[in-house]
Amino acid sequence: MITNDIYGALQLLVVGMVTVFLVLLIVIYLGKLLIWAVNKWAPEETVAKKVAPAAKAIDTIDANTKAVIDAAISQITGGKGRVAKIEKLKN
Amino acid sequence: MEEILNNIYQMTAFSDIIAANGTYLVMYLLAFVLLYLGIVKHFEPLLLIPIAFGVLIANFPGGDMGVYQADEAGRIVNAEGKVLAENIWEMSLPQIAHDLGLMNFLYYMLIKTGFLPPVIFMGVGALTDFGPMLRNLRLSIFGAAAQMGIFAVLIIAVASGQFNIKEAASLGIIGGADGPTAIFTTIKLAPHLLAPIAIAAYSYMALVPVIIPLVVKLTCSEKELRINMKEQDKLFPPTNKMKNEKVIKIIFPIAVTTIVALLVPSAVSLIGMLMFGNLLKEIGSDTGRLFDTISNSIMNTATVFLGLCVGATMTVQAFLNWTTIGIVVGGFFAFGLSIASGICMVKITNLFSKKKINPLIGATGLSAVPMASRVCNEISTKYDPKNHVLNYCMSSNVSGVIGSAVAAGVLISFLQNMTL
Repeated sequence: MITNDIYGALQLLVVGMVTVFLVLLIVIYLGKLLIWAVNKWAPEETVAKKVAPAAKAIDTIDANTKAVIDAAISQITGGKGRVAKIEKLKN
Repeated sequence: MEEILNNIYQMTAFSDIIAANGTYLVMYLLAFVLLYLGIVKHFEPLLLIPIAFGVLIANFPGGDMGVYQADEAGRIVNAEGKVLAENIWEMSLPQIAHDLGLMNFLYYMLIKTGFLPPVIFMGVGALTDFGPMLRNLRLSIFGAAAQMGIFAVLIIAVASGQFNIKEAASLGIIGGADGPTAIFTTIKLAPHLLAPIAIAAYSYMALVPVIIPLVVKLTCSEKELRINMKEQDKLFPPTNKMKNEKVIKIIFPIAVTTIVALLVPSAVSLIGMLMFGNLLKEIGSDTGRLFDTISNSIMNTATVFLGLCVGATMTVQAFLNWTTIGIVVGGFFAFGLSIASGICMVKITNLFSKKKINPLIGATGLSAVPMASRVCNEISTKYDPKNHVLNYCMSSNVSGVIGSAVAAGVLISFLQNMTL
């Protein structure tokens, strides 16, 4: 009985691992195919354009506001901290 | 007066607890340890606390909150040998609630029917982002390698002679590190072992921050753990960059469900629900209300009832025996072997590939999303603070969820109708 069960378990090991590898390989190549197809026929979204508004936001912060932020940071950090960059966040 | 006091004593739980020679005290201790791990140590508190409380309330004699396991004919016999139900499958739910108590009503309605695990998978899908996986598709294959522990422990358990093949399969699935999958498989193959298997699966998932570093320490060198994935990406840039991630993420769950359904239909109840939840998330505002419901209300409700019911199956009669100890030990091996298999696969790949991969990415091939990835990221940053591998680990981690569900599907389809 145990010998039969061990034989069955070994069979399951082979079938199970082959199936898992096969399914994930198919998922991987399906993903690659999807990326290729969407890139070719529907490449609408672009990532690089979002930098400009941040740069513009820095320009809109006037010197007084910057001085107040600098002073606040200096007060909170005991003079150790400094402002490297100020960005206006989108609402 | 003495008779009144005796009656009061008999009315309380003390009489039965004392008569049981401390076995109930072991269960209380277990409940308190689990509560401690959940509340103080923050180990999977959302699951461990309901499970632990379920254990506690199930083990007060006379409370009728413990779940009774029926044999294959549906007959339920209590610890004293009294027949509580001749055939529970012919009883209506109100009758179960009346005769066996509230917890049995919940258990036979929600767990025994296999209802809750797919519902939880739906919630998990809604909370899962396949983005890291799609960005690093090559790494997803390690989610397959890490299922080796399931089948290795299946063989060991059968060879030990203590478990039949269905019980061994339910034990092995702990190595998938996926609670709902372990419960779903056990309900189908060995429902009488649900309590120890569920508790072992969730306990080891909660102990991922301990088990992964242990296995990594035993199997990986410092040089391997210092492999910087971002630098490797700079040296060998990935070829498949996504230009429209939103569209890809919407099509992906539909395509994966279709493929898996065709290849392993028995895994559809898990994978299908996982991908359905994910699809609702990715569609965005059009299905925002549904996404909100499944990722919050439904997921939380399912987790509460799953935890309580699983805990309530851990009664003295069902838990304190050698089979449970075998499951706890075997479950640990399954878990450890799964992690080690993922790591070994990475090492083998590194032998043949110019682009080296950090072995931690193989260690996250088991499920336990996203805790396994977080733990591996902590390990890598310990060796090199700039080496963040979280996104890469998430790739194999998410594919591990698919892998363990497929492995469960194979086990169920091969063994469910087997007569022993």
